[in-house]
Amino acid sequence: MAIVLIRAVILYIVITFSLRLMGKRQLGELQPSELVVTILISNIAAIPVEDSSVPMIMGIVPILTLVCLDVIMSGIMLKSAKVRKLMIGSPRIIISEGDILQKEMKRLRYTVDDLTEAMREQQIFDITQIHYAIVETTGKINFLLKKDYQPAEKQDVQAGGSTDNPPSVIIRDGITDNEQLRLLGLGEQWLTKILRENNVGIKGVFLMTADRNGNHTIVKKAG
Amino acid sequence: MNRIIISIVILGVMSVCCFMSVGYVDSFTDMLCDKINEVEKAFEEQDKERSSKAAEELLNEWNDFLDMAILVNDLGHSLEITSSIAEVYSFAQEQNEELYAACDRAQAQIKMFRDMQTPTLWKIL
Repeated sequence: MAIVLIRAVILYIVITFSLRLMGKRQLGELQPSELVVTILISNIAAIPVEDSSVPMIMGIVPILTLVCLDVIMSGIMLKSAKVRKLMIGSPRIIISEGDILQKEMKRLRYTVDDLTEAMREQQIFDITQIHYAIVETTGKINFLLKKDYQPAEKQDVQAGGSTDNPPSVIIRDGITDNEQLRLLGLGEQWLTKILRENNVGIKGVFLMTADRNGNHTIVKKAG
Repeated sequence: MNRIIISIVILGVMSVCCFMSVGYVDSFTDMLCDKINEVEKAFEEQDKERSSKAAEELLNEWNDFLDMAILVNDLGHSLEITSSIAEVYSFAQEQNEELYAACDRAQAQIKMFRDMQTPTLWKIL
């Protein structure tokens, strides 16, 4: 049993390292090749854990090979548009200027149900509102609404306000994030002053956020 | 870019190690077969001391190899070889006629083991 435990720990480290090497894509954004690699890794990793007569190296070598090939391929794809198109395809338009391109949908094996489901996911319930629909290489469908149905933006209604100065967490659970403090251009002196004004020490703060202007919010620890 | 370099390095190191292990297994199994032949020859010449010594060396070499079982991709088969080599050692000590059969069996298993490690198209597919 100890062997199984040790093997599981080693494989955990190898898989974590491998996934780290692969990058930070979300599961829903995986390209087909990345999805295949991820599924293969989980299957290969299970073999040496289940069967102690199979050497560990028989699991580690294929896992690292797959991950390395995936990373190298993604590097090549980054440099070459041709390889990228060959490996992951290109986005396809299935609604153009309000017209459904049925031929293209058939080619992509997309049904009307797939289309309407994707519409509903994006809170679109009337197909006549759509100007363009594009199937991305991940299989996700993105829509561009006709001008009349697009939500108003700030510049349309000439509203003021700025969102380029969002607050950042500078103390979490009694620990100061000095890097954030530095990025915000607020010094330790400022922090000490604010904490003194609020009669609380760093250890007594559960959460503190601040923006570049020094606007801040403090949540004290309970009890 | 760092990830790509790390991946190329890992892939390169693994490829070198894997193909070197094939070469190592090849030369090691050749050496084991030579040792078995030596045991047989010494037994034929009724040189008990030499055949026992060669059998002991054979057993030690194989046990040392098993410590690096990282190269072995079929532990079941290597256990069979272990048992055959133990028989060779035991019959050599006893100067038993069964030694010939045990040597042939061990050699056949070792050759099969070497073949299993060699990447041929037939095995890959």
